[in-house]
Amino acid sequence: MIKLFSLKQAKKDGESPRTGTQKKASAAQLRITKDINELNLPKTCGTEFPDPDDLLTFKLIICPDEGFYKGGRFVFSFKVGPNYPHEPPKVKCETQVYHPNIDLEGNVCLNILREDWKPVLTINSIVYGLQYLFLEPNPEDPLNKDAAEVLQNNRRVFEQNVVKAMRGGYVGSFYFERCLK
Amino acid sequence: MGSDYAHRKWCHLRKVLERSGPFCRPDFEPSPNTLQFLSENCKLLVIGAGGLGCELLKDLALMGFGQIHLIDMDTIELSNLNRQFLFRQKDIGASKAEIAAKFINTRIPGCHVIPHFCKIQDKDEAFYRQFHIVISGLDSIVARRWINGMLISLLNYEDGELDQSSVIPMIDGGTEGFKGNARVILPGLTACIECTLDLYPPQVTYPLCTIANTPRLPEHCIEYVKVMQWPKENPFDCPIDGDDPQHINWIYEKSNERAVQFSIQGLTYRLVQGVVKNIIPAVASTNAVIAASCSTEVFKLATSCCSSLNNYMVLNDLDGIYTYTYEAEKKEDCLACSQIPREIQISNSTLKLKDLLAILCERVDLQMKNPGITANVNGKNKTLYMQTVASIEEKTRENLNRSLVELGLRNGSEIMVADSTTPNTVVMKLKFSTSTTDIDML
Amino acid sequence: MASPSPKSPEQSERTRKYDRQLRLWGDHGQAALEGAHVCLINATGLGTEILKSLVLPGIGAFTIIDSKKISDDDIGANFFLDSESVGKSRAEIATQVLLELNSDVRGDYVDEGPEQILSNSPDFFNNFTVVITTALPEKSLIRLSKILWDLDIPLIVCRSLGFIAYMRVQTREHTVIETHPDNETPDLRLDNPFETLKNHFDSINLDELDLKDHTHVPYVVILYKYLEKWISENGDVPKNYKEKQQLRDMIRSGIRKDEHNNPIDEENFEEAIKAVNTSVGRYEVPPSVMEVLNDDCCINLTAKSKPFWIIAKAVKDFMENDGSNSLPLKGAVPDMTADTEKYISLQQVYHKQAAADAEAVWRRTVHLLRQIGRPSDAITEKDVKLFCRHASNIYIQRGSCIADEYDPKTVDASEMTQSLENPESMMVYYVVLRGIEKFQVEYNSYPGEFDDHVEPDIVKLKACISKLLMEWGCGPLAKDDYVHEFCRYGGSELHSVSAFLGGLAAQETIKFITNQCKPIHNTFIYDAVTSNSASFFI
Repeated sequence: MIKLFSLKQAKKDGESPRTGTQKKASAAQLRITKDINELNLPKTCGTEFPDPDDLLTFKLIICPDEGFYKGGRFVFSFKVGPNYPHEPPKVKCETQVYHPNIDLEGNVCLNILREDWKPVLTINSIVYGLQYLFLEPNPEDPLNKDAAEVLQNNRRVFEQNVVKAMRGGYVGSFYFERCLK
Repeated sequence: MGSDYAHRKWCHLRKVLERSGPFCRPDFEPSPNTLQFLSENCKLLVIGAGGLGCELLKDLALMGFGQIHLIDMDTIELSNLNRQFLFRQKDIGASKAEIAAKFINTRIPGCHVIPHFCKIQDKDEAFYRQFHIVISGLDSIVARRWINGMLISLLNYEDGELDQSSVIPMIDGGTEGFKGNARVILPGLTACIECTLDLYPPQVTYPLCTIANTPRLPEHCIEYVKVMQWPKENPFDCPIDGDDPQHINWIYEKSNERAVQFSIQGLTYRLVQGVVKNIIPAVASTNAVIAASCSTEVFKLATSCCSSLNNYMVLNDLDGIYTYTYEAEKKEDCLACSQIPREIQISNSTLKLKDLLAILCERVDLQMKNPGITANVNGKNKTLYMQTVASIEEKTRENLNRSLVELGLRNGSEIMVADSTTPNTVVMKLKFSTSTTDIDML
Repeated sequence: MASPSPKSPEQSERTRKYDRQLRLWGDHGQAALEGAHVCLINATGLGTEILKSLVLPGIGAFTIIDSKKISDDDIGANFFLDSESVGKSRAEIATQVLLELNSDVRGDYVDEGPEQILSNSPDFFNNFTVVITTALPEKSLIRLSKILWDLDIPLIVCRSLGFIAYMRVQTREHTVIETHPDNETPDLRLDNPFETLKNHFDSINLDELDLKDHTHVPYVVILYKYLEKWISENGDVPKNYKEKQQLRDMIRSGIRKDEHNNPIDEENFEEAIKAVNTSVGRYEVPPSVMEVLNDDCCINLTAKSKPFWIIAKAVKDFMENDGSNSLPLKGAVPDMTADTEKYISLQQVYHKQAAADAEAVWRRTVHLLRQIGRPSDAITEKDVKLFCRHASNIYIQRGSCIADEYDPKTVDASEMTQSLENPESMMVYYVVLRGIEKFQVEYNSYPGEFDDHVEPDIVKLKACISKLLMEWGCGPLAKDDYVHEFCRYGGSELHSVSAFLGGLAAQETIKFITNQCKPIHNTFIYDAVTSNSASFFI
């Protein structure tokens, strides 16, 4: 049986710590360090860490080399919270994109970013999920309904709209900033 | 009122502390000194002065504990009064910790509660180290994980062996409606918060596309307003404050419009509040039961009068009264408590970071492939080097030719090493050989 | 759509204060609580803990009965007595201090002992909703138990001794409409859909839907379509694992394919496959519900029948006449993958039928009320709707009278004898506690109450227990450990043990008052040494 402390003794205040006053990294910190070190990016993706000491805030850049979005450059912001990996990171698309699963405010509809997130998933899983969205936009469960309808009804028009948007210009009444590489 | 009075007042406690019995721990020694230890020496920290916290203070004070610190950053609200019985209408807006402490100190002379009206994160290691036992009555997983990490960081290991005098037990309670749990955590010895993180259900979320285009439930309408409409329209030029009735009203009106538009029934003001604030239902009785269970465990640990709960109890009183105790298992690869810092001998204080990398890759017992190294220097996270991420590599490359001392590392500093050869990030403790300690002092 | 923007409902101070609990028992539960008047006998630490958890949520009123004067040791075990009040009436001070907790609550006290009240004014108890006792001696307990049994008022008896706590509830008959089950199975009626549901299903042809619609058909529709096909081929619903598996395969084969002949990701079909296990069987009224509906109280209504039984009879009549032997439809449809229009239209089909069923039950209720000569507003339509929504989970509990446990002629010792053979059983605590009551009668103190009497008391307590066991025809206790342990306690009350039971007893009281959730049936023991608990029926 473990005897944890001697009852008859009071704890001493201000006892100097043995290992200096450094604070240990949190579990979230340890986990994200591992995630980042193990990032295995597809060749179409890159990351940018504005502050290398802050692994919780970074950007992912996707430049698809095939599909509708070939030639585009799309930036996503990642914010990893203190409850990682219990909760998923917050991801927003910073590039305006004509896409059925990304709306004009930058919200991204990807199941593992919300309802299907599990702590075993990693930053890498999200990167692959996002990359897949550019290869296979999914019109069944849209966020940008107009884009989804066009994709469903006429792939050629959809393709033209994507190119129009990436070059910078109006699709319908919305003006897209240029995002070609 | 002299000791005679105290003697009579505590006659209930004295029976179990001054007499032995067949179910006592073998190391229990019946003695009048134990009660004195509880009232004068045993220092407790209660985290949270809410539904559980108020109960905990009362219970602990009446179980003979006299030295209690209380920490809570919140102020009192009207919706607290159905269970947080140390607060009154007139206290609304005041610090929970301060009002609760004052109440107990007045009602139970001889008990000294010291309030801290701040976040747990505002206190440092020296503060937490002074306690014998920490009791948490929190509703936040982040806060639980933080205090768990803090208590684990206070552990001392010598040659890989845990120094048990550095263990500060944590008793944790949680409730939701008619359900609750109480647990005993001996950091480094038994399952910790991080070991059992999957016991906490993830927050309910709905697919964005459902919220945006195919809402079916009133909750979908509320989430739409919260996640999409608010940031877009930004009606009050600030993020949502669930305690601001104007904000809740706006969300109620907008989500009601949406519900009407989609013929969705069942949207109520109460539901809107619940979803926006993520309200957990709470009632006095469940808090009383769980806090009592936690207090009993504190008493057992502090007095050795009987064995502790091993180590998790759940309660559900919806169908009769159901309790169940079991041993939650310590995870071998727990990110928090399996981290026994490994020592790395540093023979030369001028050792450069690239030399340390070489050690990590070459040492027979490590043989790492592409270690990424971070450290906590002067309370700040610092990425020393990470080869695998181009943008970080670029910015940290110059560190390779710096010496460890130049990088802010000292004898006893800990570094975090992530590598593909280990399932988790590994914590390592730098041990400078004696001849270099004077440089360490510089 | 030109609907005027709704005015946000102003929340009253009261709903804001009670918000966190209204989410548990609803406004109707709160109304029941606010209309209740409980009586506490003995304001011990345990007693005030129970009242605390009733005063905070806003019980209507309480009355404390206690003749004791506050002593020093009361102060050490009772939070609701302040240290200045030693020597004063325990009932008075506890009432005062408890009332500070909530200005919505009324409270009064009688500083007489329960023995006096039982002798002088036995009618005293007639109007309480629930009566709670702590540390009540055997003799008074037996008398009180008989009186309340006859009055049909629930009685909750609580004891806290050292690390052990005990609670016994006595209720003649207690009925529950809202049991709050953890997992409720949806009430879908796929094996025999009502007419409007069948029409709804028939209006959808899965094969004709374009892909977008096909992936957004509610799983309930898919399940029905394949079940219908299964029944037409096999004559009945799938019954065993193998048949259910075949139905699953059939559903899976209905998933659309892409140009490479790979199945498309259709979540609604996956949900249908998952639901096969719970939602394709023959509709059946749960046996526990049938038991209630076939109960004498249900079949033979009288002018004095409780509303529960009148509505139950109306439900029974509904089943046998309009409802083709099914309970009124619940009307709730779980959330599922679907587009808004398809989901809402399906939901409305269920809603409308549930409303029609409840309406039919309501008409029958009014008819029954008239038959038994009660005013037709004795039961509201709201009550009937609530009953119908929860009809598949209604519950009745019939208890036993505590006094019977003390009478060798009526005690049923079979449960005890059996339990005592199991060394793990917590029944032993019941036995020792009964021994202690006997000890108190004989020696007018708790065993071990005085420091210099512990050893002789152990012998005396053992004798008391042996006597009891002989009366019950049980063998002797396997170990003396429990006797020693209770003599160590010497009648002491540990606050954290009292607080534990206090919370639970308050919750049981609320169950009786609100008719929500199932109470314990009927004895509960808590052992704080091991943190275990157990329930028995005695």
